[in-house]
Amino acid sequence: MEGLAAVALAIALVGIGFWTLIVRRNLIWKLLGLNVAAGGAILFLVALAHRPGARPPIVGLGPGPSADPLPHALVLTAIVIDFATLALALVYVVFLTEHRHTQDVRRLERDEERGWPQP
Amino acid sequence: MKALAAVALLGLVALLALGVSGVFPRPAVPSGEDIAAAWGAENVVAAIILGVRLWDTLFEILVYAMTMVGVKLGLRLLRWERPLPPVAETPLLRRSADLLLGPIVVFALYVAVSGHLGPGGGFPAGALLGTALLLLALAKGVERLSAEIHEPTLEWAEYGAIVAILALTGALLLVGRRGSAHLIAANLLIALEVAIGAWVVLHRFASSRGEV
Repeated sequence: MEGLAAVALAIALVGIGFWTLIVRRNLIWKLLGLNVAAGGAILFLVALAHRPGARPPIVGLGPGPSADPLPHALVLTAIVIDFATLALALVYVVFLTEHRHTQDVRRLERDEERGWPQP
Repeated sequence: MKALAAVALLGLVALLALGVSGVFPRPAVPSGEDIAAAWGAENVVAAIILGVRLWDTLFEILVYAMTMVGVKLGLRLLRWERPLPPVAETPLLRRSADLLLGPIVVFALYVAVSGHLGPGGGFPAGALLGTALLLLALAKGVERLSAEIHEPTLEWAEYGAIVAILALTGALLLVGRRGSAHLIAANLLIALEVAIGAWVVLHRFASSRGEV
């Protein structure tokens, strides 16, 4: 039951994240949406590892089934790469803001069509 | 072109369905206890990320280091016209940083060293160390802290940590020796690498805007 609730929450998070990613025009909001969607994916992986009445995957914590350790290992990778790529993407947003003076995607596209305004 | 894309997509779906359907025999997966015992660990997740999936972790660290280099070089290209305002000193933050820094560093070392026995490992320890640096940066100001901890040495330490992780994993994979000592060494190096990477991000973003 907890596993199902976590899966539902993960799907909701991914939905919210992608909604923000598509609808918002500000680049930083888009990155935030992408990060929320990544959080949903991470929660989904953790929910996959869940088994009813499971204990943490550490030897010697008592009897009973242990949670699947492989998704946990995958999640560790996902979190680190998520943080790293977010930092790099923010650097690009800083660059764009310095040079084009906007974070609005629509304005960026319009300027791209008309030619960039000369400073 | 469209037909080609449709065929490719359908083929992908068919491959997925074939993989899920159970036509092919599944490889036997050893139990978590066996994996942990084989690598001299009690934390099965640590045994997986530093043992069975060592290559995965290695390239993850490489991706992390590459993005940190990207952040460093990318923000170095920007020139800021306004000089950055100096950070106001707050005695409260100074005192709490003095009090908390030691326990945080000790706890981070504990998490790194005991990562193969319980919850923990190199990545959380690195995040903790990065938090300690963030606390110091809040108390002292980023530029002063950067001058005090001698940034170029830190960069060389980061590259050194990457080289050491590569050497350690190479030796581990070639020799085939397994044991807790390797896991502890790998966890400590990963903690160092992650902490320095976090510091690089913090320092570059803060010195680009003068906040923190």
